Amino acid sequence: MNRSLPFEIFRYCTILAALAVTLVPTVWMASMAFKPIAEWSASGADLTWWPRNPTLDNFRFIFGTSTTDLIVALDRTAAKPIVASLLSAIFGTLIAMVCGTSAAYGLSRFGSGQNLPLALIQLRLFPPMAVMIPVMIMWAFFGMIDTWWGLSLIYGIVTLPFAFWLMKTFFDDMPREIEDAALVEGCTRMRVFMKITLPMMRPALASSALFVFILNWSDYLISLLLTTREWVTIPVYMASLSSSMTGQLYGAKAALGLIAAVPPVVMGIAIQRHLVRGLTFGALKQ
Amino acid sequence: MSAVATEKKLPIAASETSDTAPEARRLGLLLTLPAQVLVLFIALFPLLMQLYISMTDWSPLDGVGWWQAWQSWNSFANYTDLAVDGRFWSALGRTALIMAICVPVEFLLGLGLAILFIDDFVGKRLFYSIMLIPMMVVPAVAGYMFFMLFQSGGPINNILSTLTGTPITLAWLSSPTTALIAVMVADIWQWTPLMFLILLAGLVGVPEDQMRAATLLGASWAQRFRTIVLPKMKTIIIIALAIRVIENFKIFDTLYIMTGGGPGVATETISVYIYKVTQQDLIWGYVAAIALAILLVLSILVAFAIGRMNAARKERVA
Repeated sequence: MNRSLPFEIFRYCTILAALAVTLVPTVWMASMAFKPIAEWSASGADLTWWPRNPTLDNFRFIFGTSTTDLIVALDRTAAKPIVASLLSAIFGTLIAMVCGTSAAYGLSRFGSGQNLPLALIQLRLFPPMAVMIPVMIMWAFFGMIDTWWGLSLIYGIVTLPFAFWLMKTFFDDMPREIEDAALVEGCTRMRVFMKITLPMMRPALASSALFVFILNWSDYLISLLLTTREWVTIPVYMASLSSSMTGQLYGAKAALGLIAAVPPVVMGIAIQRHLVRGLTFGALKQ
Repeated sequence: MSAVATEKKLPIAASETSDTAPEARRLGLLLTLPAQVLVLFIALFPLLMQLYISMTDWSPLDGVGWWQAWQSWNSFANYTDLAVDGRFWSALGRTALIMAICVPVEFLLGLGLAILFIDDFVGKRLFYSIMLIPMMVVPAVAGYMFFMLFQSGGPINNILSTLTGTPITLAWLSSPTTALIAVMVADIWQWTPLMFLILLAGLVGVPEDQMRAATLLGASWAQRFRTIVLPKMKTIIIIALAIRVIENFKIFDTLYIMTGGGPGVATETISVYIYKVTQQDLIWGYVAAIALAILLVLSILVAFAIGRMNAARKERVA
C-alpha cells in the first residue's frame, strides 16, 4: 500500500522479528535432537543454541540400537508407534477421501444428501472429548480398542467433513461440459465419474488427501483414549519417553518430535495453495 | 480460459439444478450412502447411548455392560451435580479466559502481518512459507517444544536474562499464573499463522482499482482501510474468528502435554477436565452428562448463529 523507505524498513524488521519467533521453538527442538545427553539440560552460560558435539545418539536410542550414556533402556522402540501413526493416518485418510469424494460428487451433481453439509460441519464443531464416551464403549464392543483399524475408522469419520467440503468445492468449480459430452456419447453416469471426472480431479484429490493426512497425523487426544499399548501413535509414545531415574529424556523426545513434525510441514508447504480452502471448509478460496 | 468462465456464468440457473434422471438419482443416493452411514454411526446411536448413560452412575469398572446401566439409575442427579460442580465451572471459565485472550491476540497479530504481506517484496514467498510452519507442526509436538522452552534453565529464561541483564530462572510451568501465560503463548504461536493465512487471502481479494481510486481522491491509509477493506473483509473476518473460537474451545493437546492441566488445576480447561474425569475418576455416567450439557449449549449457540446469518442474508436480499 505504502511505498516509502521507512515503511519498507519497518516491514522487513517486523517480518524478520515474526520469522524469528516462528522459528525459535522449531530450531530449539531440532538442535536438541542432535545434542548428547550432557547438553540436554545445560542452562545459564552453558546453554547453547547449536549442539557443541552433534550426535545421532538420540535417534539411535529411540530405535533401540544404542544406550551409550543412557542408563535407561527402552522397553520398546519408536518403530512400532511410527508404523501405527502411518497406518492409522493413511487408512483414515483413505476412508475419509473415498466417502467424502463420492458424497461430494453425489451432492454436487445429483443433489443427493442435502443434509450432509450441515451435519458434517456440526460433526467438526463439537469437541471430540464430548463424544468420546460412547465412542470408547462402541469401540470396545467391536474389539477395536488398541488396533490400527479402529483408529483408522475414527480418523476417517473425524476428517470426513474436511474431505467432503474440500472435494465439494472442487467439484462445484469444475466445468461440466466434458461430463455432459461424455453422457451424450452414451457413457453411464457411473462411468463418467470413474473414467473422466476422477482422473481430471487428480490434483484436487491429491491436495485434499494430503490435507486430511496432516490432520490425522496430528491427532493426539483420540489416540490417547483409544489405544493402550500395542498401537499407540507417535505423540502418545512420546509422552512415555521419560523415566523416574533420568526424568525427561529431552534429546530422545526431540528426535522423535522432529520425525513427527517433518512430514506435515513438508506436505503443508506443498499444498499451501489449497490450505485456505481446506481450513475454511471451502468458504474461501485463494 | 476466460471464454469458459463467461460461459459458465451465463446459464447459472441451468447448471445449478441437478441432474434428476432416475439413474442419476440412484447413483447420487449410492454415492452419498457411505458418508450418511458414517454420520449416523457417529451421531445418532452414540447420542442416544450418551443420553441413557448420563442418567446413571455407570462406570466401566462396575463389571456390567453399559446397556445394564439402569441398575445404577439416578435420573437427573448427574445434571444437578454438574450445576454445583465448582471444578467444572472454573474449567469452563478458564477455557473462556484463554479464548478471550488468545483469539483477539491471534487475530490482531495475523491481521498486522497480513497487511505487511499484501504487496510484493523481495523474499515474500519464502517468508510466507516459513510463516505457515507453526500451524503444521503436530500440536502435541508443539506442546513438547514449549515444555522445553519454558523450563527454568531453558531458552526463554535465557533470552529474557540476556535482554534484561539479570539472570532469570523462573519455573514457568510450576506457578499458576505463569503456566497459564505459557500455554497461551504456545497457542498464539501455533495459530496466529492460521489467522494470517485466512486474512491475507481475504485482503488480496479486495479490488485494487477501488483502492487506487480512493488513493487518488486523497483518502488516507486508515480511511481506505475502514471504508473499503473492512466491509469487504467482514465475512472473512467472521469465518476466521469462528474457526479459532471453535478450535480454541477444544484446546487440549499442547496444553495437556505442557502442564497436564496443572499445577493443581491452574490450566485445566474443559477438555482436560473431561479427560481427567474419564481416565482417573472413571465415572462415565457423569462424564456423559457433562458432555451432553456442552453439546446442548453449543448446539443452541450454533442454531442462534446460523439464524442470525440467515436473517442477515435475507436483509441483504430484500
